[in-house]
Amino acid sequence: MLRATDITVRFGGVRAIENVSMALQRTEILGLIGPNGAGKTTMVNVLSGFQQPHQGSVTLAGEKTGPLRADRLARSGVVRTFQAVRLFPGLTVSENLEVGLGSRGLGRAAARRRAAELLDYMGLAARAHMPGNALSYGEERRVGIARALALQPNFLLLDEPAAGLNIGEAEALGDLIRRIRADFGCGVLVIEHNMKLVMGLCERLHVLASGRTIAEGSPADVFRDTAFRSAYLGAEPA
Amino acid sequence: MAASISDRIGWRPAARDGLRRLVPLAALVGIVLTIVLLAGMGDIVLQRRVIFCLIHVVAVVGLYIFMGNSGVMNFSSAGFMAVGAYTSALLTMAPGMKSTFLPDLPAWLAAAHLSPLWGALAGGVMAGLMALVIGIPIMRLSGIGAAIATLSLMFICYIVLGNWTALTGGQQSLMGLPSYVGLWTAGLTAMVAIAVAFVYQETRGALALRGSREDEVAARGSGVRIVRERLAAFVVSGFVTGIAGVLYGHFLGTLRVESFYLDLTFLLVTMLVVGGMRSLAGAVIGAIGISILTELLRLVEVGFVLPGTSWSIATPPGLGDVALAAAMLLIILFRPQGLTGGHEIELPRSKTSTSGLATTSGNTGTANV
Repeated sequence: MLRATDITVRFGGVRAIENVSMALQRTEILGLIGPNGAGKTTMVNVLSGFQQPHQGSVTLAGEKTGPLRADRLARSGVVRTFQAVRLFPGLTVSENLEVGLGSRGLGRAAARRRAAELLDYMGLAARAHMPGNALSYGEERRVGIARALALQPNFLLLDEPAAGLNIGEAEALGDLIRRIRADFGCGVLVIEHNMKLVMGLCERLHVLASGRTIAEGSPADVFRDTAFRSAYLGAEPA
Repeated sequence: MAASISDRIGWRPAARDGLRRLVPLAALVGIVLTIVLLAGMGDIVLQRRVIFCLIHVVAVVGLYIFMGNSGVMNFSSAGFMAVGAYTSALLTMAPGMKSTFLPDLPAWLAAAHLSPLWGALAGGVMAGLMALVIGIPIMRLSGIGAAIATLSLMFICYIVLGNWTALTGGQQSLMGLPSYVGLWTAGLTAMVAIAVAFVYQETRGALALRGSREDEVAARGSGVRIVRERLAAFVVSGFVTGIAGVLYGHFLGTLRVESFYLDLTFLLVTMLVVGGMRSLAGAVIGAIGISILTELLRLVEVGFVLPGTSWSIATPPGLGDVALAAAMLLIILFRPQGLTGGHEIELPRSKTSTSGLATTSGNTGTANV
């Protein structure tokens, strides 16, 4: 289990996150939702070691991760994707994956084979030898997920994976995430704005607003919650 | 459909695939070998020019190992060359020579008299050790910070060696190095340096380093230990660059600290940038190309008689340096990836036509998924 306890993060005088606790199980799909500026990405940064919290702690399988660097957490199976994807533009698609496979201890030949398998799994086999900056937007996003899978994640943190995708693509993404959870046996945390996707995909929701937890529970419970309705739906009438 | 496409693309006999991956190495070694063979037929003046060019190939390949893979600026090559050159000089010079030129040497160093090979290795190892010690604090820098730190390192080497009179003779020339470097020594060393750089860049550490070159944040997200990978490259780079310094000293037979200063620094960086710092081919082709350019300009600067006429041509002194800077400027402005564009010399993919077809049909097949 990946658990964050009483996390507070400040930027200058502003509290981006205040006293937030959350846990991600190895088998669940957890939705992290909230209006813009709620601190969702900051929370993913904390969980993945890119942001050290000013208060609170992160534990992985019960062990305190302390001030762990992002690269070490990634090698321990806590892997995130980026809102802006951030592929390695000058490397081929296959090499984009091989970097992570190398971090997991695979030699070059084994990494090449495994990258080919993963790209095949993601329906990207035909793109293996293209440069990372020569892809369509949707493909780029899928390579970003494939690159995360290369690290054999136990916990996969997806920062707005559906941003910019059309309805059909977003639905396909939902199926893909479920498939990944089943095939890789990993817990998935998804930051997502698309409520339809969230409702269909997530077993549990965690709602942030202005850096605080305002609701958590099953999607049905959360949607009945009055705090949620006023803070979230009130701000963004559907 | 998707499965059949991946089958077709995934199907490649492993052995042929392995050979294909060696093509960039074979091409560069072939280029150097050709140059050595051609120069062997020329006169002694041409041979000396070619040896100089080959020494520069070694130095630029050394520079590439770190700068090309990591994308971090490095202006300290001249310092590593100096350390390699003086280390080998002090260990291989005849004790009689040393007592003449360097009377204040410590006794054990004054008596040391290694064979050229051991001296050369010691020179490389000393430069590599310096890279290790200096690299530990500075490898977390990138961008302008790294540029300033490595430039400072070069200045420090220059000032320390220039004032450590007991060891280097200070501002005076150190003479009497065994000059064992000929065409084949330089050529073979260049080929070995190219092979070292190639083997290194095929490691997973080097791939991880190229990932950090492309995007540091994403590389950390992919589990890359950036400082450690940079340090490894810096040490290998220091070793190879040190060996270039060794060749330099034992080719000329004389060392002056002034030789390892800004002119050399700028020359090596220009060679790499003009060739294309993101590929080994760029390093080799840049070193050879700029060597040819500077030789031609030197010819023009000295003045020569146009063949078949009585016109003599001589350009103002300093043209060579201006042209070097101009070459750098033009490349940065119009072809920032260098002459090679960051590509290695590769065979065209033999199955381009079929896989190209598969690519387009695969695209329509997967776009709507």
